[in-house]
Amino acid sequence: MNKRDFPIIELENVTKIYKEYDIQVVALKDVSLKIFPKEFVSIVGPSGCGKTTLLHCMGLLDRPTSGKIYIEKKDTSQLSGKEVALFRGRRLGFVFQNYNLIPRLTVLENVILPGLIAGKRQDELEKKALKLLEEVDIKHRSYHRGVHLSGGEQQRVAIARALINDPAIILADEPTGALDSDSSKEIMDLLRETNKSKGVAIIFVSHDPSIARYGRRKITLKDGTIAADTHTDGG
Amino acid sequence: MSISIKIALGELNEHKAIYAVIIVVIALTMTSFLLENAYLNYMMQVVNETSKMITCDAVIANSDCNVRDLYGTETTMENAGRIARMIERNLPRYKAAIRVTAQGSYGLGAEKEAVDGCTLQGIDIEKDPEAQALKNKIVAGRFFQKDDPILKGHTPMYIEIKGPGNLPDLVYGSGQRLFVKEEPYPVIVGATAAKIHPSIIGVGKVLDIYISTSARGTNYAGIRVKIIGLYESGTPTVDAMIWFIPADSLREVKGYGTITGKEWVIPGIGAFRGFKPIDVDENIGDVVVVDVPEPAYNLDPIGHSRQVKEKIESVVPGMNVFTWHDLIVYASGSMQDVVTLLLWGSMGVTLLLCGAAIKYVMDSIILRKTREIGSLKAFGARDRVIFKIFLYQGLFIGLLAGILGIIVSFIVMHLVNWYGIKMQFIAGTQLNIGFIINWFTALTVLILPMVLSILAASIPAKKAAMLPPVEALRKGELSL
Repeated sequence: MNKRDFPIIELENVTKIYKEYDIQVVALKDVSLKIFPKEFVSIVGPSGCGKTTLLHCMGLLDRPTSGKIYIEKKDTSQLSGKEVALFRGRRLGFVFQNYNLIPRLTVLENVILPGLIAGKRQDELEKKALKLLEEVDIKHRSYHRGVHLSGGEQQRVAIARALINDPAIILADEPTGALDSDSSKEIMDLLRETNKSKGVAIIFVSHDPSIARYGRRKITLKDGTIAADTHTDGG
Repeated sequence: MSISIKIALGELNEHKAIYAVIIVVIALTMTSFLLENAYLNYMMQVVNETSKMITCDAVIANSDCNVRDLYGTETTMENAGRIARMIERNLPRYKAAIRVTAQGSYGLGAEKEAVDGCTLQGIDIEKDPEAQALKNKIVAGRFFQKDDPILKGHTPMYIEIKGPGNLPDLVYGSGQRLFVKEEPYPVIVGATAAKIHPSIIGVGKVLDIYISTSARGTNYAGIRVKIIGLYESGTPTVDAMIWFIPADSLREVKGYGTITGKEWVIPGIGAFRGFKPIDVDENIGDVVVVDVPEPAYNLDPIGHSRQVKEKIESVVPGMNVFTWHDLIVYASGSMQDVVTLLLWGSMGVTLLLCGAAIKYVMDSIILRKTREIGSLKAFGARDRVIFKIFLYQGLFIGLLAGILGIIVSFIVMHLVNWYGIKMQFIAGTQLNIGFIINWFTALTVLILPMVLSILAASIPAKKAAMLPPVEALRKGELSL
């Protein structure tokens, strides 16, 4: 990371309040932070501290109650629903805790899905997907249905899927949350390798300190605010 | 192929069992609708073609006539010729001709009893709009000729009676003695009548019949007729009952003209009278039949029966106008209209239920697949893409149901036609069961299920499209 780079994501006094009936829950409180290109960032903190909410806001899946989010210098509050969807599809990649593979689709079809949504050609997407599957070492299962794979294999597919549209940022919500320790290590190694080789910024959320230490930057949340923002050697 | 279509097809495949049930129910509903409609169309066409020979598209009668009177007991229209000319002058492309009609009965000479009845239609063999159609339906013998030497100049024998059931003791066949020196009147008879009574009905056969000569059928004439041709309209029942005779002949029988000859009493037979000759007045008739350029029927939604009726009434105010549709409603006790309404109604109810089923199936799918919808949104799918995924499912369900409905209908129709199912009909006749599909119905069968299923799908589709991605992802996780 070079401090002279423009931040790829910038949060400016972001507050997120959930309302249920008459009860207000403050998930994020006046959060400001900058994420720079090629960063490998872990967001940690106790359960309910706002980690996932922060990730969802950065991924434009949720809008903050107040404050601004800039992605690649664009004020996302000014974007229409259609523009947000297009932006999300083309510049962001997502990895979920439960992989979220479409059960009836094959591995290859799952990987090319975001590309098809972005309107890209299927034949080109398939070529690229096979290359990505080779990189995540799951090419031999390309034509199997996703549900028939182990958790670790499914998460590899999810990482390949997140990369299909050449995103600037990958947002991973508890990427190892449903995996055993061996598989967790493999997935985190893969994410770190992806960050290095492709130069894509990766922000992941984890409540597990052993996983969080993979991040070269660690943002600790407590009660919806940033309690600490430290740089590490990335374990 | 767009991503929405691909995912929609995948969804249909995944839920093929439940969707197949819905598709089959809709298809069978549409099959039943199409078959019943096609059968009704067939029946209507048969009846239409046949009854038009009798009534054309519309009939004008005196103001004291009702529909029932049109079957042979009309009051005389002294100004029928003037009315026909008024119609042709005021309504472009309308054709009008005078008809003389009467009820007749004929019998077996040997048995000396009446065996059957007929409605005699006195037809203008040149000007009547249906004359050519009738000519084309001749299956044996010949049609009338303009200069036929046996058209006029006979001696009908009149019998005055006081009321129904009081026919004098004049036996059939006795006329042979009365009319032995005369040429008989030429008539054309339905082929079914010849099949039912082969010993007395057939080309070249001569028989004596009684004909009602006055309104309400209280006075009669006895005449001798010769069958010169048989016609086949397609409806055996009608062919068993309707006989055609030149209008001038029937005018002569009914005394429509100036009696120039002497009245004579037949000694030894009874108080019967005969007139010979009569100067027939061609302006006098019982009804005026009208042929219209518009489709005059209205069982089909594109018919114009009411408009045609109003148009004619505006030219001849005070007269009673009956359209073909009025006659059908009279003949069938408005059954056809009720059947048509019931068909549309039952189809509508079933389709509504299917629409509700589609909605609830999709609702439950959306509930189960909320996380999948959230994922698609996270991958950049716009609301419109999600909306279209479910809308396409509705479209495909409707399209498949419509196509299946049409295919099954065609198979059933071909099987029925191949097997040649016949229906027992009145007067000992049989009627083929047939089908005629019109484009409007076929298009309805194809488009209506699509419209319905798209509408039904649009409600859950909108719900899915409007799901905020974060909520969809969160709810999905909770539902695991």
